[in-house]
Amino acid sequence: MVDFARVQKELQECNRDFEVSGIRVVPNGEANLAHLLGTIPGPLGTPYEGGTFKIDITLPDGYPFEPPKMRFATKVWHPNISSQSGAICLDILKDQWSPALTLKTALLSVQALLSAPEPDDPQDAVVAQQYLRDYQTFVGTARYWTEAFAMISSLGVEEKVQKLVEMGFPEALVRSTLESVGGDENLALEKLCST
Amino acid sequence: MEDDYYLSGGSEEEDDYYPSDREAESLDGLENEESDAQWATSKAPSSKVITKESLLAAQREDLRRVMELLSVREHHARTLLIHYRWDVEKLIAVYVEKGKSCMFSEAGVSVIELVDLDPPESSSTLMCNICMDDVLAKDVTKMDCGHCFCNNCWTEHFVVKINEGQSKRIRCMAHKCNAICDEGIIRKLVSVRHPDLAEKFDRFLLESYIEDNKMVKWCPSIPHCGNAIRVENDEFCEVECSCGLQFCFSCLSEAHSPCSCLMWELWTKKCRDESETVNWITVHTKPCPKCHKPVEKNGGCNLVSCICGQAFCWLCGGATGRDHTWSHIANHSCGRYKEDGEKKAERAKRDLYRYMHYHNRYKAHTDSFKQESRLRETIKEKVSHLEARDSKLRDFSWITNGLCRLFRSRRALSYSYPFAFYMFGEDLFKDEMTKKESEIKQHLFEDQQQQLESNVEKLSKFLEEPFDEYSEEQIMQIRMQVINLSVITDSLCKKMYECIENDLLGSLQYTIHIIAPYQSKGIAKAEELTWSAQANSNNKCQKISNQATGDLIEIGKASASGTSDESTQLSRKRPRKGSSAGSMFDLNLPAEVHQPNT
Ligand SMILES: [Zn+2]
Ligand SMILES: [Zn+2]
Ligand SMILES: [Zn+2]
Ligand SMILES: [Zn+2]
Ligand SMILES: [Zn+2]
Ligand SMILES: [Zn+2]
Ligand SMILES: [Zn+2]
Repeated sequence: MVDFARVQKELQECNRDFEVSGIRVVPNGEANLAHLLGTIPGPLGTPYEGGTFKIDITLPDGYPFEPPKMRFATKVWHPNISSQSGAICLDILKDQWSPALTLKTALLSVQALLSAPEPDDPQDAVVAQQYLRDYQTFVGTARYWTEAFAMISSLGVEEKVQKLVEMGFPEALVRSTLESVGGDENLALEKLCST
Repeated sequence: MEDDYYLSGGSEEEDDYYPSDREAESLDGLENEESDAQWATSKAPSSKVITKESLLAAQREDLRRVMELLSVREHHARTLLIHYRWDVEKLIAVYVEKGKSCMFSEAGVSVIELVDLDPPESSSTLMCNICMDDVLAKDVTKMDCGHCFCNNCWTEHFVVKINEGQSKRIRCMAHKCNAICDEGIIRKLVSVRHPDLAEKFDRFLLESYIEDNKMVKWCPSIPHCGNAIRVENDEFCEVECSCGLQFCFSCLSEAHSPCSCLMWELWTKKCRDESETVNWITVHTKPCPKCHKPVEKNGGCNLVSCICGQAFCWLCGGATGRDHTWSHIANHSCGRYKEDGEKKAERAKRDLYRYMHYHNRYKAHTDSFKQESRLRETIKEKVSHLEARDSKLRDFSWITNGLCRLFRSRRALSYSYPFAFYMFGEDLFKDEMTKKESEIKQHLFEDQQQQLESNVEKLSKFLEEPFDEYSEEQIMQIRMQVINLSVITDSLCKKMYECIENDLLGSLQYTIHIIAPYQSKGIAKAEELTWSAQANSNNKCQKISNQATGDLIEIGKASASGTSDESTQLSRKRPRKGSSAGSMFDLNLPAEVHQPNT
């Protein structure tokens, strides 16, 4: 059974110093607190700067004695994060977890991972190889993914439409698709690509 | 195709290792040497049986050594020992080399005594950093590392870790704190809410002594006898458990010296592929299209002829005339009449013949010692006939001793064949020696092997004679032969082992093969571990070891057995006290089965 009293306290505590950390954790729609949504800002001076990354959090029954499960909901190009599933390779989310850590400290560690990739212990082999062999291309791709997937909130609807049209989709289809997903550019792109 | 020259014996006098000048003078001396005492080991065996009952005591012995040596408390000693896989010598070496504090931090032991300047009032409250609640000071626990959390949180943490199977190394809850939690505190807190889990925890700790210890292994008996064996200094040895099973301690399969473990593994795999023989028949014979008998192909030509006179094409199996050239059979055009794969097939055939050569000999000796019990019966009968006779001959120990020697030697001989198969084959040591070197060594070895073999067969022949019907004079003759042959085969076995250890395996450059040493008296039976009631006082685990608090356990007398039927030995095992059996762990059962003790 998840210790919801502690989770409640964690959320309050975390959102209290949002101004300083830029890290937020909110309930993810459902009634209980077992599913949460975290957001972290891309660290300055990295290809992720300016992006806002959503992280899907699931708390196991044994939380905080078992580590929370975290996964990037925003697509990101990084050696230790799966470009497909958003799975994160981070020791404190596995055997180095300690019950004394919190969701906020875990998210801070994830943010630190964005600044300091560890290509020798990769989650995504393709990205890691690119990082090691062709760093410039890696930075370019990571930057492009940040702009394409992590900056939607800053773009107006017309800009989103224009961007997607530039990518080669017919304008009418772009508009209807964007509408159907509530203006989320990320989801719209996925939908457009899959049709 | 079975070449059983080794069963014929007798004829090849020149092979004999039979120094006749020794014969006369040695006999009187031998008589005593070959009495019953010869088959009981004089020095203590180098292995011990750890029964369910003695497991705790065995563990305690090592714990006490470390506690005394380093003046640490029991849970610290256990943490250190688990970290160093119960290798006290290694632990001492690290202690000497790196010092106490380095060793302690590596193992996760913290013995910094934290001085509480003002111990909190029991009514005051503290904030627990895990549940983020304010809790009464009496409901928090501080670990040796100084980290302090509420009892509820500690308990939850322990429960999760025990269920994850990490009982042996439960770390403190604080981030990056490497300290291992005090087992006493774990036991105390967990048993309040989950007594069943506390018991599981104790079981894991207890079994760590076997599972994390390279000198201790479970006996591989099926169904399991519940025992483990501890060897004292050499893990390459052969042991006998008190349940009677003899095995190689290193690989846990049957005792197989002078074969090395790798050779034995390869050999059993090869033998399991009996299909190889079956394959041979399918690869090397084809049914005759006329009489349907299997016909073996010999030579390179693909026109084969059956004993019935029918000629046929080996490749398609079709009947043909006899008129053929190297590449064509007259009036036959299946188009497959070629030399393809010819070399490969020849090679495979050669390899197979080689394997069969060794396997036949190996099997003949194995079969012979499988007859052990039957031969033992007939020998027993003969002895009782002799004893019933009105004669001045009274001592017949030479007969049973001779029999033991026969089995012991046959065993060594039997396993020497798979050894030779790999030693002089191309599978393992192709890069170690040239073909020429290999051949020279093979001749040397085979010479010894054959000497041993012919003497073993002689010994066997004498023991099979109906000497119980002979005259006293004839019996004295046979007795002399048996005693002499026993000594000779023993010394030849020893020589063969030495040759293998020193000249053959010892000279390898790139690979290491270690064999269990020759035990002239057979595989030593492991001695039961002993302990006193005293050792168990102040025992936290008392409830799981009530049975262990009895008197000094009877020491299973050291005995050796070149024999497998030693039922008398088994009766020396300590009888179970049925009434208290429920209070101890049955190591055969999974932890879940154990009900909490209330
Ligand atoms: Zn707590
Ligand atoms: Zn600690
Ligand atoms: Zn056994
Ligand atoms: Zn072995
Ligand atoms: Zn025929
Ligand atoms: Zn021919
Ligand atoms: Zn043909």
